[in-house]
Amino acid sequence: MKKTDIGVVAFIYAVCALFLVMTLRLPAAAQTYPLFIIVLLAALTTLYVAQMVRAAKKSGVTTGLEDFQGFLPKQFFPILGMVVLYLVVMYFAGFYIATLVFMAACLLFLKVPKWQILLSTAVILALVYCAFTLFLKVKLPVGLLFK
Amino acid sequence: MLETLALMGQGFINALVPVNILAMAAGTTIGIVIGCLPGLSAAMGVALLLPMTFTMEASTGLIMLGAIYCGAIFGGSISAILIHTPGTPASAATAIEGYQMTLQGKAGKALGTACISSFFGGLLSCISLYFFAPLLAQLAMKFGSPEYFWLSIFGLTIIAGVSSKSMVKGLISGALGLLLSTIGMDPMEGVKRFMFGQSSLYEGINTTCALIGLFSMSQALILAEQKIKQRARAAKFNDKMMLTKKEMKQIAPTVGRSWIIGNLIGILPGAGASIACFLGYNTARQFSKEKEKFGHGSIEGVAGSEAANNAVTGGSLIPMLTLGIPGESVTAVLMGGLIIQGLTPGPDLFVGETAKMTYTFFAGFVLIQFFMLGIGLLGCRGFAQISRLSDAILIPAVSVLCVVGSYAIHKNFVDVVIMMIFGVLGYLCRKFDLNTAAIVLALILGPIGEKGLRRSLALSGGNPAILFSTPVCWVLIALCVFGILSPIMMNRMEKKAVEQAGGDIPGETGDDPVRTAD
Repeated sequence: MKKTDIGVVAFIYAVCALFLVMTLRLPAAAQTYPLFIIVLLAALTTLYVAQMVRAAKKSGVTTGLEDFQGFLPKQFFPILGMVVLYLVVMYFAGFYIATLVFMAACLLFLKVPKWQILLSTAVILALVYCAFTLFLKVKLPVGLLFK
Repeated sequence: MLETLALMGQGFINALVPVNILAMAAGTTIGIVIGCLPGLSAAMGVALLLPMTFTMEASTGLIMLGAIYCGAIFGGSISAILIHTPGTPASAATAIEGYQMTLQGKAGKALGTACISSFFGGLLSCISLYFFAPLLAQLAMKFGSPEYFWLSIFGLTIIAGVSSKSMVKGLISGALGLLLSTIGMDPMEGVKRFMFGQSSLYEGINTTCALIGLFSMSQALILAEQKIKQRARAAKFNDKMMLTKKEMKQIAPTVGRSWIIGNLIGILPGAGASIACFLGYNTARQFSKEKEKFGHGSIEGVAGSEAANNAVTGGSLIPMLTLGIPGESVTAVLMGGLIIQGLTPGPDLFVGETAKMTYTFFAGFVLIQFFMLGIGLLGCRGFAQISRLSDAILIPAVSVLCVVGSYAIHKNFVDVVIMMIFGVLGYLCRKFDLNTAAIVLALILGPIGEKGLRRSLALSGGNPAILFSTPVCWVLIALCVFGILSPIMMNRMEKKAVEQAGGDIPGETGDDPVRTAD
């Protein structure tokens, strides 16, 4: 059994509880199907808990961190942060400015040679402009600042 | 019969219009590029480019997605042969013999064999698509609400098959997907369910955004967590790619056998190209007159694996197009492409005007194989260089395409946020052995099952006996049992096939080496 599975199980139970609370607020006729799915999910999770307990008794408990071998938190979290920030900047400054900043920042952070940063950013921007703006005629976000 | 033949002929005429030809060429090229990049998978590529097709004609959009699918399955063999790193799990067996040939200075011959075998495997798989799809669609036309309920249950039993390590975790993933599929308007009562105050969730979670998040964004996050690897330089080759008459004769029976294997695997739910390639490879070795060459660079080994994985493509489309049941992740994404076009996968695709679109897609699927052969043979040297593209560039590039793709569907920023949430969910699922493909299948099949069940019960005044009232219901119940048992058999077959192949499977493919992301 992996210790990390305890977190997985807790998360699933939390999801069940959240949806249960919301389901009980629905009219009676609309409750049946979601309740059935919630009970199914909770039952399967409980079955997995039973399997976990059996596995713990049989072969002990591992941390589960072996699945994160090679995980680089100093690389992963800044990139995840940059993606989230990218969405925020896009909301205010628009798609193209946000993409330019995100691509350059991300590639610089990942220590990509400068000429490759320039080339990759230009290629991605050109690709999106040709495919989405010219071909699909999608109006990409212009941002609150430029509205 | 005559009507079907007329539709087939008309399909070819429609498929040959310039815009479709362009879609085939572009889709195949993009697919090969995605396939030959270790770290990207076919499902991810199709999901990423799905939004590009939504303004196209339905047939053109589907042709493009089909071309990406076929191209990616073949493209995986390029990096497998040249740098011993399969671009997708579907080419894992190709790497065994292909790389040995590269070490012997026969990289061109290995690539030529892969290309020609992929072409024949894909082309022959179209036969079953033309033959079985209309037959199955005719049967599906007789389905009512109870049958649709069982059909969705049958589709959901596939979830057990797409489970990676623990079947219970796979089922949990499926149930989680079913729960998420209840978000939006109640189909019978018209009540808002779990919408968190977002009116854009009125019609439920946008499946395409969920697909992009679960398959593409999560892959970018997976790449971001590991040290950026410098990939080996692809081997340069100067030998001829074209096979001699003798070599063609040598691989012909292997291609024939692999076609049958790949096709059957494709039609079976829960199975995919990654299993087919090993079964094709092993069968090639079993029947070969030069068994001693296996493990030391056998062209029959390359042919067996590549013909089988491409033969899966046509077969895997049959249950999706006729019953609306995607058997694995790539067809689930392709189904998203149909839904985006406002089409309902199932027997309706073979009736009236929609049938013309379907047969145009079929014809396009045949022609895609020729494009794959031409572009593959002519562009192998160029694609080989692309396979070196660093993950450091792929991470932000894929992220940008995920964001713009999810926004473009409804021009709605909430969709981007949903895609991002599913991206993180997909990443966590993959880290904790939950299954993203199971979530997707449940998201797609959940509403079909719910409608079928609730309509049946409404018709019968709440009597559940209606669900067992017709022979077709019982056939579908039997299929559900088969759906649960077949993955167990498939797992055994796969393990046996990998063991027989020597168990030396090179690492780093587009995804986990399970059948979920061929």
